[in-house]
Amino acid sequence: MTLLIKYTLIYGIVLMLVALGACFSEHSGIINIAMEGIMVIGGVFGLLVLVMLPAGTSSFMKVLISICTAAAAGVVYSALLAFASINLKADQTIGGTALNLLATALALVLVKRYNNTMSGGTGTQSPKLSFVNSDFIFNIGPITVNVFLFVGLALLVIAIVVLYRTRFGMRLMACGEHPQAADSVGINVYRMRWCGVLISGFLGGIGGLAYIVPAVQVWNFESGVTGMGFLAIAVMIFGQWKPGRIFLAAMFFAVFKALANIYDSTFLTALNLTKEVYNMMPFIASMIILAFTSKNSRAPKAEGVPYDKGQR
Amino acid sequence: MTLADYVIEMLNITKEFPGIKANDDITLQLKRGEIHALLGENGAGKSTLMSVLFGLYQPEKGCIKKNGQVVEIKNPNDANALNIGMVHQHFKLVECFSVLDNIILGVEPNKLGFLQKKEAREKVLRLSEQYGLKVDLDALVEDISVGMQQRTEILKMLYRDNEILIFDEPTAVLTPQEIDELMQIMKNLAAEGKSILFISHKLAEIMAVADRCTVLRKGKYIGTVETKNTTVEELSAMMVGRQVNFKVDKAPAQPGEVVLDVQHVTVPSKLHKNNAVKDVSFQVRRGEIVCLAGIEGNGQTQFIHALTGLDAMSAGTITLCGKDISKAPIRQRSKDGMSHIPEDRHKHGLVLDFTLEQNMVLQRYWQPQFQKGGFIKFDAVREYSDRLIEQYDVRSGQGSVTVARSMSGGNQQKAIVAREIDKDPELLIAVQPTRGLDVGAIEYIHQQIVAVRDAGKAVLLVSLELDEVMNLSDRILVMYEGEIVGQFDPKTVTVEELGLYMAGAKRMEL
Amino acid sequence: MKKKNQSPLLERSMGGLTSVIAALICIVVGLVLGLLFLLILDAQHAWKDGFVPIIQAGFRNVGNETLAKVGMNWMTVGQEIVEAAPLIMCGLSVAFAFKTGLFNIGAAGQYTLGAFGGMYSAIILHLPWWACLLVATLFGALWGAIPGLFKAFLNINEVITSIMFNWIGLYAVNTIIYGRGSGAMFNLKKAETYAIKEVSPQSVIPSKIFGWDMFQTFKYGSISIAIFLAILVAIVILIVLNKTTFGYELKACGSNAQAAKYAGINEKRSIVLSMVIAGALAGFGAGLYYLAGGAQWNPQDSTVLPSAGFDGISVALLASLNPIGCIFSGLFISHLSTGGAQMTQVYFPGEIADVVSGIIIYLCAFSSLFKGKVMGWLKGGKKAKEGQAQ
Repeated sequence: MTLLIKYTLIYGIVLMLVALGACFSEHSGIINIAMEGIMVIGGVFGLLVLVMLPAGTSSFMKVLISICTAAAAGVVYSALLAFASINLKADQTIGGTALNLLATALALVLVKRYNNTMSGGTGTQSPKLSFVNSDFIFNIGPITVNVFLFVGLALLVIAIVVLYRTRFGMRLMACGEHPQAADSVGINVYRMRWCGVLISGFLGGIGGLAYIVPAVQVWNFESGVTGMGFLAIAVMIFGQWKPGRIFLAAMFFAVFKALANIYDSTFLTALNLTKEVYNMMPFIASMIILAFTSKNSRAPKAEGVPYDKGQR
Repeated sequence: MTLADYVIEMLNITKEFPGIKANDDITLQLKRGEIHALLGENGAGKSTLMSVLFGLYQPEKGCIKKNGQVVEIKNPNDANALNIGMVHQHFKLVECFSVLDNIILGVEPNKLGFLQKKEAREKVLRLSEQYGLKVDLDALVEDISVGMQQRTEILKMLYRDNEILIFDEPTAVLTPQEIDELMQIMKNLAAEGKSILFISHKLAEIMAVADRCTVLRKGKYIGTVETKNTTVEELSAMMVGRQVNFKVDKAPAQPGEVVLDVQHVTVPSKLHKNNAVKDVSFQVRRGEIVCLAGIEGNGQTQFIHALTGLDAMSAGTITLCGKDISKAPIRQRSKDGMSHIPEDRHKHGLVLDFTLEQNMVLQRYWQPQFQKGGFIKFDAVREYSDRLIEQYDVRSGQGSVTVARSMSGGNQQKAIVAREIDKDPELLIAVQPTRGLDVGAIEYIHQQIVAVRDAGKAVLLVSLELDEVMNLSDRILVMYEGEIVGQFDPKTVTVEELGLYMAGAKRMEL
Repeated sequence: MKKKNQSPLLERSMGGLTSVIAALICIVVGLVLGLLFLLILDAQHAWKDGFVPIIQAGFRNVGNETLAKVGMNWMTVGQEIVEAAPLIMCGLSVAFAFKTGLFNIGAAGQYTLGAFGGMYSAIILHLPWWACLLVATLFGALWGAIPGLFKAFLNINEVITSIMFNWIGLYAVNTIIYGRGSGAMFNLKKAETYAIKEVSPQSVIPSKIFGWDMFQTFKYGSISIAIFLAILVAIVILIVLNKTTFGYELKACGSNAQAAKYAGINEKRSIVLSMVIAGALAGFGAGLYYLAGGAQWNPQDSTVLPSAGFDGISVALLASLNPIGCIFSGLFISHLSTGGAQMTQVYFPGEIADVVSGIIIYLCAFSSLFKGKVMGWLKGGKKAKEGQAQ
């Protein structure tokens, strides 16, 4: 049971962080289907920095620097989406898809290159990166938690306050609902949308690291982040674009995801299902839930539509 | 008169778009405290000129002066800083925000970025009291009436302490009674020292409320007149460039057998729990034009969607030429003799990225005339399209192969009218067939509709324009909140009387 | 008057030319950025061991005399052709759905299911190759139908559904094939599916066409007539889209679903059918690849979706959604990924080719922006010429 809680918390926080990111982007009017790619980029840069930090670095600095790197990498990478979809008015879905594909390829090149250098240029082609995650993890009573739990909860509170209590949040949502209206009262729609997408990069980058680091000690980048970015988008839809609900939805999905990790150590072994079946579960659950909630969707009205100052 | 008496001057403004001069050397001078009308047909350049004043477009030539000083207005912020405000024709309101949030959006009172709505609320309440603009500040915009939304837009301007208020076609969405109310509000505002620019193509309203009127035609400046020294006839001649006969020439109707029989039709609403159309029954006969009149949003759209098969109805029957088509698919209704000129030509009427000829066969591509074994007969399509273009005078850059998107609104509409009339229907349903068109196109389409009637067909017209309703129809049905609340003969009823029914103030038992 | 009649035709051909030029710009910029990336990674080896092999790709060995003596110098070209066939099909799948306004990011899942169907009917049922292909197509169509149904009847965005069903399909296929190590199609010794060539030779797509044995020319193991089948399908798709009432209906739904409905076209049916066909095309592509005899499926590699489905997006966009264009862009993307493997791996991982193709899709996403410029430039050039003539 404690294992279930442990993994649910890990995955729940990841899904929440990434869904919050997507939520900020969509509230500004940009569909960010590149969350998967942003997670990969955040994860790979965060991890590379983590393994390259000198041995004597304190735990606190290791955690801080790697998280900041992941966030920064996510922000930079999301800027590619912002530039294409806001300034060049590209199709947001295609642009996002391109970034997803690019991210996995880039991560593989970097990891292989790193492994090759570490092995003295012998041409090692391993896509796997080994690391030590002990700095991120500690125990509270019987439950193992990781630092991302606290980071995530803090960011959740900040997200709620920013979205509903500040001028920025109000203007951001106006841009996603009715950019012409926002423009007519002097709000710079392009700038707000840039902010929305960059925030999604920030949260997605941290989410990528948070997915990889706490659960394992070695990661194969051939699989990217195994569809977590897309699940997070489903979480966002299920959460009706509202941070509080997104948190609950994320935890709900995380239970399914966690089952795949722990089913063999619980009574579930009696069901005699394979790991793949458990891996499938969150995806099937998300489809069923979407099928039931799609009718009363509260998606931002102007999302996906490039804003063109000339067209009124 | 000294220069400083003009609060805003737009001098020799020229604004070009690719292929068109939307404004050609236009001058407009607005006095402090006056209501100044800007009159012109659709496409005359009124909206472009106002967009220039509001900073949405930059003119190629000309300058704008405020109080005699040249100013540059690069964006809506600049306009705002100069105390210029605008109520757009399509309201610029965020639907899922409250009224208060919409009013303060862009000028939010805040401390370190955190919203402070309390003082804003007090100011808005004070203003709404002062000018008699009643609104519920906490209601969501999507839940309130169009009239209330308009008041929200006006409060938005007042909240920003705007001195120059632009109203872009503000009466299009209102009932005659609401229009009177708005006129009174505008007069109050002017009396308090605000200067008002009132954009319209409705002559009676201009005569009623404006002090002066500037007329544009095809992007050019025609003149400025004082309303007390002019007449409706003179203004309309200035607007159109010739004497216009707004009356449609038509012989008295000679109704024949029933073509369309609608009984107890009820349509559920997609927005709320109530029904959008409630128990509607009427008939349309051969040789008559029946008009469904009413304010926008009273169930006309939903009724037409149910009638044409675009949406399902929950109760009632529809009979076309004696055949029950209540549950028939759209294609079947079309085969049975129903033609439909849709309300929104871009949404329903045309596939904008298709060529004109592909659009001309949109309803008929599957007929043996145009296909064989699933393969389209391109020659037959071209021939047919060329004939329609010729016969109905549809003008476009490259004839049949013009992409529909690149055509003017008037010609797009003509193409749809051609397509629907040429199907030789038993029943022609025309929904706002002249919306957004210039007078020439309107006259043409009216003639075509009368011709269909005279050929012994039934016509069901839906219109929001009372002039059109009065001129074109042989019988008027008024729809209010999804019900038919009155039936009239256009020869004996007055516009005012119709207005009372349209606003729900009166109803008759049918 | 005559001139006026000609101009639309001219316009159309100019539109085609514009698309080609836009695609070339995307490719060139993508390659230049790729070279830049190589330079950053290892400037010393970037040109000779990185960029040149990518460009030469399969043709690198054509001039190699040692290989020529044993007739193996065209082998990697054969590899390019083999890998191009599924890419062309996935490109057609994405392009076809796009024409009807749907973004089929689910080609990867449909491809996975198609691969399963093809392999099952070969390894277990020992069906002849054409029947296996048909089964692969049906499986792909089935998996394409699901997002179509979700979209048509529940109005759920096909992108999100397709992605979810990519993963569901992948896990399902892996679980069935692996069967805890005892799956009937699973060769425990090699940790992959049984080789079709060995267990069911009649299920392998032939390599002879009109008396020409392609294997003799290329000496590449899994070379087959698959590429010609892909080209044939591309032509059929072109005809369906442009010459038939069915294509007219689908395109009407794609450009304006509301207007299509108004015109009496059953837009729900069109959405589902279009996804079914897109899925069928991807499934057919998987059949072409796995029934060629050279590739097996590794079900334990359980978290990686086949890349052909995603590369199909590049293929379709690079071709500006033109079915015939897909043939060329499919060959190009295949060329590029073969090139990735031709780099000296000590210095550069082969995924650099994927980086380049990722950059190319990114550029394609806003290629309409410079399409307008190219069009203006073409017209301007034309006008200037006319001016000179006068």
